[in-house]
Amino acid sequence: MNGHRIMVIDDENIVGKMIKAVLVKDGYIVETFLNAEPALARLQEEKFDLIITDLKMKNIDGMDVLRTVKSQSPEIKVIMITAFASLDAAIEAMRGKVDDFFPKPVKIKDLKKCISRLLGESP
Amino acid sequence: MKVVTKIIFANVFHIILMAAIFFFAHQNLNLVLAKLRFVEIADDLNASFLEIRLAEKNYFFYKDESAILTIEEKLNQNIRAIDSVSGDIVKAIGQKRYKHLRLSLRKYVEVIEETKSSKGRNEELEGRVREAGRELREFSSSVTHLERQEVNGIISRSTNVLFYSFCGILVLAIGLSHLILFNILKSLKKIEKVANSISEGNFYKVEAEVSGDELGSVLEAINSMSQELQNREEIILQSKKLESLGILTAGVAHELGNPLNNISMIAQAYAELYDGLSREDRIDYMEKVGEETERIKEIVKNLLDFAKPKKPNLKEADINKIIRKTLKLVQNMLHVCCIAIKLSLQDGLPKVFIDENNIEEVLVNLITNAVQAMSPKCELSIVTGLSEDNDYVVIEVEDKGKGISPDVLPYIFDPFFSTKGVDGTGLGLSVSYSIIKNHQGKMKVRSEVGVGTTFTIELPILRGKE
Repeated sequence: MNGHRIMVIDDENIVGKMIKAVLVKDGYIVETFLNAEPALARLQEEKFDLIITDLKMKNIDGMDVLRTVKSQSPEIKVIMITAFASLDAAIEAMRGKVDDFFPKPVKIKDLKKCISRLLGESP
Repeated sequence: MKVVTKIIFANVFHIILMAAIFFFAHQNLNLVLAKLRFVEIADDLNASFLEIRLAEKNYFFYKDESAILTIEEKLNQNIRAIDSVSGDIVKAIGQKRYKHLRLSLRKYVEVIEETKSSKGRNEELEGRVREAGRELREFSSSVTHLERQEVNGIISRSTNVLFYSFCGILVLAIGLSHLILFNILKSLKKIEKVANSISEGNFYKVEAEVSGDELGSVLEAINSMSQELQNREEIILQSKKLESLGILTAGVAHELGNPLNNISMIAQAYAELYDGLSREDRIDYMEKVGEETERIKEIVKNLLDFAKPKKPNLKEADINKIIRKTLKLVQNMLHVCCIAIKLSLQDGLPKVFIDENNIEEVLVNLITNAVQAMSPKCELSIVTGLSEDNDYVVIEVEDKGKGISPDVLPYIFDPFFSTKGVDGTGLGLSVSYSIIKNHQGKMKVRSEVGVGTTFTIELPILRGKE
């Protein structure tokens, strides 16, 4: 249907799997990663339209991913998800020019709507 | 009495004493000066009397009649001289002797005048002249001699008095300053004791009577500070408890947040994809829900375990043996992470009463933390020994890792506080801490960023008692 490439980075295996299962059905091409290093390496090889990343991760966290991506390819949209739904985390993510922010538990319908909006698809 | 009053009192006392000594010395010196002045006059008089005696000799032996005139003239000169300094002479030898001298001179003059007016030589008169001359000369010599002796006496007396008063002042000065210092030092000792006890966290108060001086005021201030600190410590303890509770709650929320989110996402995906899912897929989804609920169950169980610490099953044990046994358990981890172990275990340490499994758990926790903090090829050091007071066996686990920053160091024993992100439950150190506490032991940490961290465990040596 649309063929947009989406990357999901979350150290919780199920998050990636479920998001991928739902989005693939809608025609997205989805790749999942359990941590940021291989994900950032993959970005050098392949162009992605949108990245969904967890905030709190080992070594490189979601904020590092956001900064790296926005400095290299600002056109890539970034959605942050986190179990830490604190105001501080949201403000910091906004400052890092995150495109949207989802606290856990994530509503998949809302996430899908957000992805469509960010990628400029007609609803 | 205040310290400042004591010091002023001591100084005033010294000044009065020195003034008295100065007055005494001044008086003595004046007397000596008067006596010396008289001795000077007496020397002149003696010389003059000697001349008179020579003139007498000329008159008697060489029949020189003019000698009488010389004698008369000399005598009158002497009388004038004595009269002109009568005040000084009286001061030196006293009124009585002065009068005696004056009388002797007068008598001599009278005899000479009689001799001058008599016609021809008269043996009886000549005898009186000789007698008066001799008497005058002897009296003058003896007075001069006496005065010289007195001057020597005064000088030696003054020397003695000055020496003894110097000794007296010295002894008094030392004694008084000791007395003042003794009180100050006594109060300072009390203050030191209170300050030390406060620094150890015991808000001890000096109950003894407080002196009314400045140090007493300091003691009172320290007492009230101690009281105030005790009140504040209770407040801080209360707020620390709340803070710990906050960390615990946030930790629980985070730990539970992930599996809950997973269940929620599985449920949403299941609903969304239901029609397209095969039977196996549906079963797989539900199994995943089951796994996540197991995860939640495990977290809750750990939390309950933490909240209800088990009473340790204490047995006599050799701590070095337990460390060697623990190292076997973590051998593989050390090998994989390329961490070398340096052991300095002191031989002949007293036995400790411990729950071996609990202490092994603590050691595994500490070694795992240390290994995770270090880069490969670093060295982990474990040292055992005795505490300074010989009441504890001490175990030190030291890593050369990245260290813990001072702002998080106070929280590392709090439950659910972790520096390891998703890799840590935040329970390892808090469980270890409570295990050591249950053993009546102590667990401490010191750390420097970039240098490393050292955990110290102290386990009590229970001599003959459980």
